[in-house]
Amino acid sequence: MLVYGLINSVILALMALGFNLTFGISGVANFAYGAIYIVAGFITWTLIEKLGLPHLVSAAAAIVVIGLFGMFLYKLVLKRIRGLVISEVIATFAVALVALELLRYIGFIGFRYSLPVFIDGSVEILGAYVDIQRLLILALSILVVVAQYLFTHYTKLGLAFRGIAQDEHTSLSLGINPDRIASWSMGIGCSLGAFAAIVILPLGTITVDSGYDVLINALSVCIVGGLGSTFGVIIASFIIGYAQILTATYISSHYTIIVSLVAILVILALKPSGLLGHQKELEERV
Amino acid sequence: MKSFIVLAAAALLLVGFAYPVSAEQPIVLGVPTSLKLIEGYEGHRAAQLAVEEINAKGGVKVGNQKHLLKIESLDIRDGEPGVPVSEALLGIEKLILDKKIYATVVGNFRSEALLAAMDIYSKYKIVNVGTIAMTPKFQEKVLSDKEKYKYSFRCCLDSVYLAKYIQSMMKFLNKEFGYNKVYIMTQDVLWAAGTGKLMEKWCKENGWTVAGFDKFPVGASDFSAALLSARGAGVQVIMPIFDMPTSGVLVKQWKSMKVPALMAGFISPLMGSKAWKTFGKDIDGLLNVVFEIGYFPVPAYPPTVKFTQAYQKRWKEDIQSGHGAAPAYDAVYLLAAAIEKAGSLDPDRVVKTLETMEMTGVVGKIKFNNGHQLIFGEDPKTAAVGAVFQWQQGKQAVVWPASIAGAKTQKPRWMK
Repeated sequence: MLVYGLINSVILALMALGFNLTFGISGVANFAYGAIYIVAGFITWTLIEKLGLPHLVSAAAAIVVIGLFGMFLYKLVLKRIRGLVISEVIATFAVALVALELLRYIGFIGFRYSLPVFIDGSVEILGAYVDIQRLLILALSILVVVAQYLFTHYTKLGLAFRGIAQDEHTSLSLGINPDRIASWSMGIGCSLGAFAAIVILPLGTITVDSGYDVLINALSVCIVGGLGSTFGVIIASFIIGYAQILTATYISSHYTIIVSLVAILVILALKPSGLLGHQKELEERV
Repeated sequence: MKSFIVLAAAALLLVGFAYPVSAEQPIVLGVPTSLKLIEGYEGHRAAQLAVEEINAKGGVKVGNQKHLLKIESLDIRDGEPGVPVSEALLGIEKLILDKKIYATVVGNFRSEALLAAMDIYSKYKIVNVGTIAMTPKFQEKVLSDKEKYKYSFRCCLDSVYLAKYIQSMMKFLNKEFGYNKVYIMTQDVLWAAGTGKLMEKWCKENGWTVAGFDKFPVGASDFSAALLSARGAGVQVIMPIFDMPTSGVLVKQWKSMKVPALMAGFISPLMGSKAWKTFGKDIDGLLNVVFEIGYFPVPAYPPTVKFTQAYQKRWKEDIQSGHGAAPAYDAVYLLAAAIEKAGSLDPDRVVKTLETMEMTGVVGKIKFNNGHQLIFGEDPKTAAVGAVFQWQQGKQAVVWPASIAGAKTQKPRWMK
């Protein structure tokens, strides 16, 4: 339970990192995130199965394509409505609906869509057998968090990210273009979603409906952790991840689906800005 | 005299228009179903194959006339989530009125849609031979007003027979290995949870210990907690009952976590040959209950070999679903035979013929019970047949019933 709880938590964190990055930098709640995750899976599957490209090449291509799509989405749609929260949510959710239902319409229905694992096999840890792909997810997630830290602290673009996240107007006075940075944050956030899809989806199958579940998981982790806080996302992932495993073990697997929803309700009632969130407006209303 | 001629002419016209088929016109068979779902499109293809084969031999003989068959399909989407029953019913009525269909095959996915559609079939006297929806309420409705609902038949397994097949599999495992401890895992939908509950009751009444019963919401893709519980309880059999796409993950996790229990039940995504390609050797050793034989070749029953080869040749791929395709093929042949035997297209006469007909089909012997349900058994020479197969190194090896079994049940290599 300890081992699988840890892995479940890390999977949740990896799923949410891209969503959190985009929101933390640009303030855009990207409700198309779940759809983007699934589209990335289907792109990779198509490149491997239909075009016969190598696994790693297909995965890299999917990450780049999805990243460009995120930037394009920002420039085409979100740039005009940035700051209008309801409009952003409606627009991105509409994109999600179009993407997911289009996938369904063109026939991506059924059981046969599955990505290959990077390394096959399983090993015994603390008396439980764990497949190597899960351990790979664990390692890659740590790598992503470290890379994100280094990127935002030691690169020019990363510092600009932090700049507009802290104070957009002051950043503007220093020559940082908020739209350009927001567009990059959307692109990198989407790429992170695609990356998560490519390493997590080999554990299961790619289905259109799971796009909605991914969005719910990402949202719940970010809301509980505090929107925009990477450390908060990691803590929330562990809380929700272990809560899901405990629920499945001691109550019933049937109720795991509501764990994240209950977590959202509880945190909104007790601390609406999330565990490590800093949205003063929300804090002051409680 | 004049009025007699008018009356006679009117009578002739009435007879002529009584059935939507005139001499040498094709007999139109409707396929109103969920065409994007695997059982739907494979059922449609199987029906189309049967139509082409019958037409290649000149068609269906009605009296002295030969009629070709023709398929008209419509995607009524009733198997897709969120589609209301009323929309499916409108689709069926549209097909009947616009395309002048004589009968339907394949048909509804959802049981509630089938039950409602039976009234439409009665209203228009359309002979309906369904091959997907599995509710036992179908027979109850036929028997509740036999005269009204006589036009509806079901040429596939129902959920009562499914439960019986799973019970037979459990008896078989008990006899073969002496197993008596099981963990049940089902999808949290009515049919699967219902079948699971029936099996839980049956197991307890038949000397099995049920160590756990877990229901998973649709879309669940992590089964590790339940598998850990099963492992901890020391069960010998894990019984899955699922049809959602992500349920194949359960078997992958079972293998990666090396849970030392046989996986034996029903997992729809792991039925077809492509499952091996999708999930690989992780599914080696899984025992799966087949609803109707005939979607992969069973050498012990040659009609399945002939049908699967013909399907592969026509559609350039194998059948992947363990439900619906072979019955749809049989349904078309059955209708053609009934029309020829009745010597008429009068639906009442054809229905009467269907009620007493016996035919050798791909799924075994075709014969309906009083509630118009296809009778299932354990030998294709005497009844339609389901089966239990085991994935053995990429092949679907039939291990039960004895009449068609071609292999012995084996524990997966990693369990030995």
